[in-house]
Amino acid sequence: MRDLLRRGRDMLFWGLCLLALALVIAPSLAIIASLLQQSWPALNINLFTNTTATNGLQNAILGSLLLMAGILVVAGPIGIAGGIYLAEFAPPTRAGILRLGYETLAGIPSIIIGFVGYIVLAQELHWGFSLLAAILALSAIVLPYVVKTTEVALLQVPATLRDAAVALGLPRITTLRRALLPPAIPAIASGVVVALAIAVGETAPLLYTVGFTSQDPTLSLFQHPIGYLTYVVYLNATLPTKLEHEVAGAAGLLILVMLLALIGLGRLVARRAARYAAQLPS
Amino acid sequence: MLSSGRHLGVADVVGSNLDWTVQLDEVRVGFGPKQILKGISANLPKGKVTAIIGPTGCGKTTLLRSINRLHDRRPGFNLKGRILLDGESIYAGSTDVRELRRRVGMLFQRPNPFPQSIRENISLGARIHGLWSRADVSTKTEYLLREVGLWDAVHDRLSSTPFSLSGGQQQLLCMARVLAVEPNVLLLDEPTSSLDPHSTTRIEELIAGLKEKMTVIFVTHNLQQAARCADEILFLEQGEVVEQAPVKQFFDDPADPRSRAYISGWAV
Repeated sequence: MRDLLRRGRDMLFWGLCLLALALVIAPSLAIIASLLQQSWPALNINLFTNTTATNGLQNAILGSLLLMAGILVVAGPIGIAGGIYLAEFAPPTRAGILRLGYETLAGIPSIIIGFVGYIVLAQELHWGFSLLAAILALSAIVLPYVVKTTEVALLQVPATLRDAAVALGLPRITTLRRALLPPAIPAIASGVVVALAIAVGETAPLLYTVGFTSQDPTLSLFQHPIGYLTYVVYLNATLPTKLEHEVAGAAGLLILVMLLALIGLGRLVARRAARYAAQLPS
Repeated sequence: MLSSGRHLGVADVVGSNLDWTVQLDEVRVGFGPKQILKGISANLPKGKVTAIIGPTGCGKTTLLRSINRLHDRRPGFNLKGRILLDGESIYAGSTDVRELRRRVGMLFQRPNPFPQSIRENISLGARIHGLWSRADVSTKTEYLLREVGLWDAVHDRLSSTPFSLSGGQQQLLCMARVLAVEPNVLLLDEPTSSLDPHSTTRIEELIAGLKEKMTVIFVTHNLQQAARCADEILFLEQGEVVEQAPVKQFFDDPADPRSRAYISGWAV
């Protein structure tokens, strides 16, 4: 009887676990299915060869990629350097102040960062709608994630590894580069990927800083608006024709594909960085 | 020569520095308000193996780590008294801490190879300290791996991760890494506590061979190991030296009743 009860409890527990898993997965699958259904007729080569002016997405795809590259260049190094400084070099009081700073930044709604970017960069500095203003605004939004994940990743490296390097008389930079960073890189790469994923899904700050255009983006940093995918989802959903709705769905689907590609890339970087780590065979 | 270092200050042995590698002069170590070492004075003889023993929490590891300044960055760390290495105070403002740590090597309780290749694990310290040129790496790596008895196991995978080695092999690799920077003093913090009997024997053989070239100080909970490997015993209790004596004298006829009680606890 007790055995039966125990087995019953086990089954109930596993049942609840599976239900929780289903609740997590179901919305993702539903979103993908709905986007596919919505965009199916529009999924053809014209999406990549036409601009948004003629119901394609070429300019928006290029614009989103350009923004991501810019964030990678700006928020990546600054965030990683900030996390390294906090974990390894900052005196406790200064580290406390800096942590308060990035935690506050993380709490500011993105639309406010976009608005400040518009006032300061677009208007005061006369940059107009510009790629650089958008990259800086998005970088300010994602910087806290990169700093935090880098700091936590370094603090999670076993103390014994730090002891070994210090006891050997290695300089702090060598200790960081040869002992602490290799095991931390997978987590740092995940942080950067999350940051890019957040950035690629943002719309509000971009409306303020880079505007929108149906023309293909240029590499000009100032005075040139560019197109990007999230705006197409936002705008086309409000337009009347079926084709425009289909293009909105296709833009949404492409954002998802970009996210998956980012996750894949992050895993690849992590795998390569961890080639000497304990978890992987040589 | 020295049966009890309990109340012996460095001033008492000035002029005989050549006999001592490490001299502890009323060393008090604490972290914040908590005092761990409460005035340790002892002289650790050159070219000998000294085992630091004592009950858990008596300050053995704290003392060991103080000798190559591993506590420096720990919050609240404070040290009073002096630790002399070859007659010079290692906590003096003029001390080159990196050079001190090169001269005082340390092997830890658990193997902790760097996440680099086996070859780089050994050569990194020696290259950074300017002891090896790039051309030296392959011959000197081979020499050290042979010295610790690891060459046959790893000669065909020097570019691979060290984490595929067994725990004992990893500890031998760490030993080779320490030896590569040519220390004068070797600190060992329970180096065999996580190892199999075969690797333990290998480490003990190495300790016996190394005292020709350097002073060895090791912490152990294993009294049999202390009796096997050490020339001198430093027995601590509650952050104080109870007794320092040659190994035979300590185990056969300890001077202090607390030593006798500790040893008999082991015998029972």
